[in-house]
Amino acid sequence: MTKTIRQNNNLILAIALSSSGFGFAVLEGERTLVDWGVKSVTGDKNAWILKQIEKMIAHYQPGVLVLHDAAAKGSRRGPRIRKLTKEIVAMAASWKLKVTLLSREHVMQAFFIDGKGTKYTIAKVLAGRFPEELGPRLPRKRRAWEGEDSRMSIFDAVALAFAKRLWRKDR
Amino acid sequence: MASSHLPNYLRTNRMRLGLSQDEVAYLLGTESGTRVSRYEQFARDPGLRTALAYEAIFQRPIRELFAGIYDEVEREVASRAKRLVLNTDHMRPGERTARKREVLTKIAGTKVKKPQHP
Repeated sequence: MTKTIRQNNNLILAIALSSSGFGFAVLEGERTLVDWGVKSVTGDKNAWILKQIEKMIAHYQPGVLVLHDAAAKGSRRGPRIRKLTKEIVAMAASWKLKVTLLSREHVMQAFFIDGKGTKYTIAKVLAGRFPEELGPRLPRKRRAWEGEDSRMSIFDAVALAFAKRLWRKDR
Repeated sequence: MASSHLPNYLRTNRMRLGLSQDEVAYLLGTESGTRVSRYEQFARDPGLRTALAYEAIFQRPIRELFAGIYDEVEREVASRAKRLVLNTDHMRPGERTARKREVLTKIAGTKVKKPQHP
């Protein structure tokens, strides 16, 4: 069934899927980070995540939904995330919501002239740009043997939203 | 025309300050965070005293905290002001009417054609 929302073209909802849930960011224009956070789940992750994202779409009525392109060349996302990405795209279509899939390369190119950088460097840039919102959430740089801090998915989501905004402006 | 703003930015500002819903509820003088959650979910609009308390907590003007609602109210007022400007066409011309027309035109936010008095 097709559901309709009054889309706000000024709003971008970005979702960064992770092994334990997802990080999200709602960006208004270029300067206002309206909402951000991380949601974790155990059990039937995909069904729960899909429901949560649908709730966010209904609440914020964004003009576009941005996700990582799990099927992009060189992507190392697992089958669960690939399947979930497809399910989210289908769900967004039922809301007549535009979806943009951005590869890791797209995101890197949006932040670095040579396209070379790390997730942590991007996180630091974003924490500098939004010191009140993201500053306290920036984890310390992880060491090679440590797992990724779950808060990094917030920065991944904000980076996606920003990359989408810059992508639209440049091209 | 729909507003490009969200009805309110209460959640954004609360999170920016790192406060919980219960803490904001306490500052507002309400019993629990449930009401705060309803405001943040756009399910309910706060009253004037609560809106002013929000301004005091977040140190931002009400029109910024409730930008979407403000846009809506401003449009409604502008539309009524336009009608009142047209009413001045039937008033006795003079300094007072001209002043009134000027004020209402400013509120209406658009140029309203000057009346053609004989």
